[in-house]
Amino acid sequence: MNEIIALAAKDLRMLLRDKAGFFFAFVFPVVYASFFGMIMSGMGGGGSSGIYVVVVDEDQTEGSAAFVRQLSDLDALNVITTGRDEAQDLVRRGKRAAMLVLPTGFGKARAEIFGNPPEVGLGIDPARAAETGMLQGILMGELFGDLQRVFTDPTAMAGQLDSTIDEVRNAEDIDPLTKTTLLTFLPALKTFMTKMPDLQNDDSNDGGEGTNNAAGFMQPKIEKIDILPQRDGPQSAYEITLAQGAVWGIMGCAAGFGISLVVERTRGTLVRLRMAPISLWQVLAGKGVACFFTTMTVGIGLFVFAAIVFGVRPHSYAMLAIALVCVSFAFVGIMMMLAVMGKTEQAAGGIGWAILVVLAMIGGGMMPLAFMPAWMQDVAVISPIKWSILAMEGAMWRAFSPTEMLTPCLVLIGIGIGCFGMGAKVFKATV
Amino acid sequence: MLVIDSIRKQFGDLVAVDSVSLSIAAGEIFGLLGPNGAGKTTTVNMCVGLLRPDRGSIAIGDTGDPTNKDVRRLVGVAPQSLAIYDEMSGRENVTFFGKMQGLRGSELKERVAWALEFVGLADRQQDKASEYSGGMKRRLNLAIAVVHKPKLLLLDEPTVGVDPQSRNAIFEHILALREMDTTIIYTTHYMEEAQRLCDRVGIMDRGNLLAIDSVDGLIETHGGASRVIATRPDGEAVEMQTDDPLAELQRLQSNGGLQTFHVERANLETVFLNLTGRALRDE
Ligand SMILES: Nc1ncnc2c1ncn2[C@@H]1O[C@H](COP(=O)(O)OP(=O)(O)O)[C@@H](O)[C@H]1O
Ligand SMILES: [Mg+2]
Repeated sequence: MNEIIALAAKDLRMLLRDKAGFFFAFVFPVVYASFFGMIMSGMGGGGSSGIYVVVVDEDQTEGSAAFVRQLSDLDALNVITTGRDEAQDLVRRGKRAAMLVLPTGFGKARAEIFGNPPEVGLGIDPARAAETGMLQGILMGELFGDLQRVFTDPTAMAGQLDSTIDEVRNAEDIDPLTKTTLLTFLPALKTFMTKMPDLQNDDSNDGGEGTNNAAGFMQPKIEKIDILPQRDGPQSAYEITLAQGAVWGIMGCAAGFGISLVVERTRGTLVRLRMAPISLWQVLAGKGVACFFTTMTVGIGLFVFAAIVFGVRPHSYAMLAIALVCVSFAFVGIMMMLAVMGKTEQAAGGIGWAILVVLAMIGGGMMPLAFMPAWMQDVAVISPIKWSILAMEGAMWRAFSPTEMLTPCLVLIGIGIGCFGMGAKVFKATV
Repeated sequence: MLVIDSIRKQFGDLVAVDSVSLSIAAGEIFGLLGPNGAGKTTTVNMCVGLLRPDRGSIAIGDTGDPTNKDVRRLVGVAPQSLAIYDEMSGRENVTFFGKMQGLRGSELKERVAWALEFVGLADRQQDKASEYSGGMKRRLNLAIAVVHKPKLLLLDEPTVGVDPQSRNAIFEHILALREMDTTIIYTTHYMEEAQRLCDRVGIMDRGNLLAIDSVDGLIETHGGASRVIATRPDGEAVEMQTDDPLAELQRLQSNGGLQTFHVERANLETVFLNLTGRALRDE
């Protein structure tokens, strides 16, 4: 065992010194996942930044439409409008981060000072704490801003007062004394506001402060509506390109270690290892351990990177760990096969990469299988890449049950054992 | 230390080694001299268990078969084709192969330091092997072979592609190893090396071990006559073979006189020529 660890440690040390190998294992997958993820999200979302929200305007008044326009103008938001059902669906499927509902009466409430405060429904996955806080802040700001505008715009204020006076006059649930008081006070206020516009303008700051105080008793309400995500589709394009990127990185590792085994042979170090008091089996196991360790590191590193940078979260961490173990295991076997593809570094590398690229193409490593014609999806079952991507996607967003996960994992383990066995046999026969 | 009993190895139709037998005593430097393709490397590979002989047997020490791990622990090999990792430093190379030999901890450290010092690479041990000269790589190859203090050391053409200075250094290391009671098998196609270093030499050609003896013994038995080459005062050239060159020169001197002369004593080259009918160097 000590010898196997020493062999693996030697290979890892050499990998870190091999700039090309390091690039293909660690840098390329990140670049791949990021680049294609960016392109694919760009195709879906129009390329603009900000939180993706969908607004449901149930009020359909000029006031509500104005508020939608106001939100659309914000850089912090990317706004589309749809009906409520569709909006809910978009959020559930992760196409949009949140749904904003402007209920019936929103426009009116927004125009009133002393009526019911305006209310906005915020539909969001309760797990998205950061986006929830941010959206609440933005909405509050915009709704308060409304009030501020009302108070600092005398004509708007006058119209506002008119409608309030009408309302008070027609109201039946206000006691007569209050009614009389209001009907005396409000017209007086209106006269004051319209007759002294200069004063208003000069003291706009005071007015502004006043509005804030005034707003205190009619705080706009944001009602949170929990929308639990329905995890039957990728949350973002990165979840698709991530599995592909991981596969490319892992292929890079397998190719690298396979070639390194050929190099051990051509440089004569394999002869030296075989003359040492260790078995050939230990030598191959050392290679396998190094390959496994590296592919796991590449996979984990890439998913951590994606979690930090793109906010991608796997549906199940445990499943993802299992998927990565199985994928790495399969690729240790593939590494062994690549090691017997050619007698020289160039031959093994050339043939190995050619095979890998073809397997990647038919297995959905370049273009996602879902975009491919049906017959190609059928052909894909022969590619270990397909099963690798399926296992990782099962853990990421397909929400595979343990039984569903079993198929790709068993296939991958089978590939690992089969390829390693065959490769090792050929290798042993040709040393 | 090593007993080889009529081993034979065939690759396809080619018999690379044909019924070779020899017995090497502990502490001896045994030379295997022969042109390229003679079967030296194949013999070495069988001695370390890399190849299994088709026929015959090999026994090392008291334990026996070199395919056995414990037996291989006694053996150190500097392969003809350099076997080092270019991407790693000299020290890392020796350390790694020391681990493969089962060395650990402080013992490993000591042995690595000793081996690097021994071959004169201590001051360059941190440099990558890819930055070493050919001679330094050969010396590193040797350091790796001796790191675990083998009882039996097989050196397969250890001076190929080496500058004269490194070559001399390697000779000194080998002689020093003999002082440490290491049994050494040294293969070469340079007869000077065999002549200078080896207690006994086996002459090998086309898979056959033609003769085994001390250098003097071989020359005596197979070297044949010395050659006397002289010129007369009138410019006439004289060339002859003789078992007693001194007596022959005296005879020439008294019988007409001599302008110049030199004597070519038989060497391993002539031994090889006499044994095979071909020159060693031509190959
Ligand atoms: N693995 C092999 N397969 C086929 N032929 C071989 C192999 N190894 C050596 N030979 C042949 O066996 C003969 C002896 O080779 P070798 O032992 O390397 O000679 P030497 O070391 O004396 O130069 C050569 O003709 C060589 O071509
Ligand atoms: Mg040789």
